[in-house]
Amino acid sequence: MSDQLSAHGVSLVLPKGWDVEFMNEAAKDLSNARPGEGGEVQPENPLVVHAGNFRLPPGRGDFGSGAVEMMGGGGVLVCLLEYGRESAETELFRRHSLPSELTPEMFQLHTLQRTIRGQSGTQIFCSEAGRAFCLYVVLGNHKRRNTLVPVANEVVASISVT
Amino acid sequence: MTALVIVLALVVALLAVLVAGLLRSNADVLRALHDLGVSLDPDHDHTDASPRGADPVSGQTRPGVAAPRRASDDDGPANLTGRTPTGGLAKISVVDNQSLTLIAFLSSGCLTCAGFWEAFGDDDIGQALGSGLTSSDIVIVTKGPESESESSVRSLAPAGVRTIMSSDAWLDYNVPVSPYFILVDGTAGRIVGEGAGATWDQVANLLRQALADAGLNARAKATRAARASGDTREANVDNELRRAGIEPGDPSLYPTGGGSSD
Repeated sequence: MSDQLSAHGVSLVLPKGWDVEFMNEAAKDLSNARPGEGGEVQPENPLVVHAGNFRLPPGRGDFGSGAVEMMGGGGVLVCLLEYGRESAETELFRRHSLPSELTPEMFQLHTLQRTIRGQSGTQIFCSEAGRAFCLYVVLGNHKRRNTLVPVANEVVASISVT
Repeated sequence: MTALVIVLALVVALLAVLVAGLLRSNADVLRALHDLGVSLDPDHDHTDASPRGADPVSGQTRPGVAAPRRASDDDGPANLTGRTPTGGLAKISVVDNQSLTLIAFLSSGCLTCAGFWEAFGDDDIGQALGSGLTSSDIVIVTKGPESESESSVRSLAPAGVRTIMSSDAWLDYNVPVSPYFILVDGTAGRIVGEGAGATWDQVANLLRQALADAGLNARAKATRAARASGDTREANVDNELRRAGIEPGDPSLYPTGGGSSD
């Protein structure tokens, strides 16, 4: 059974056994706020989404540091990071729309925010719905990429942005 | 002589009253047992599936005391979905994974909960259970923003334990009071222990017993050992490489070039 979750204009379908968390920049800044200083989170603030087929630990970095160290060889971590809207359609984000499918050839051992032996990743910058995103996906074991990439694609293909 | 007869008559009358009272009391007990679905008739077919057959004894606890969970109340554990105290959204899979999860149902206002919020701020909170659980295996669940102050929960939420706000989770788990703790075995998809306590030590003891009763201590420790050994191995390898002047990401670690081959 899959769950569809939506927040801050991004929705995705989560397969069974996956964890996900939608965070945004304002929310993270507010973590140090004193009681009563909460206020409403502005929906236009950049968003960070982490989805993993393993238990996501607390205190993760934007690119999944803190989580990638805990993922096993069968682990898949999908990170969607939003950049400021002014970045959309700029050179780095010239690709239109998020990919609907990743391939094993897209994953490299060096494409990791933090190099961990055996893991591999891929990073795609794009613009969609006037918003700038980086899709960053980590596989727990590069040797198993042919079986893990389809697992990642279950989530990647379901991401939609409004 | 007349007096003796009168006394005997009174004694017999008194005994008759006592016997009648005992018979009536016995009848009341039998009637009550029958109402509870218990039959003392040796010819009664105990396999008969009466409406109460699956739950033959029911009763009420004193006001203010949480009733024990009944089998019919338990539809199995549910995954947790809710707001985060920082305004995000999170789903935590409690079932369909290989983890044990301790769900701590707390509120921002209750005095007893204050000690638990503080206890969960301890980095070694998972080790207190002595069962291989880590802080990643603990989830604090408060009621949703419609019932709880988001800013209060945000100020209480410890950095090392995930916290979500979900009134649905309280309903799904039929939480009677706060604080309340439920331990879920994600592999088997079942609740292995639950209860309340005034202090973390009491709750930890309760959960240790539940883990032992469920035979999960060994598995949890094995999981922890596997994690530790993996980390230890990685650290040892990193140290050896550093001593040899090779830092993480060094091209010599990837002799095939480009990293696209095995």
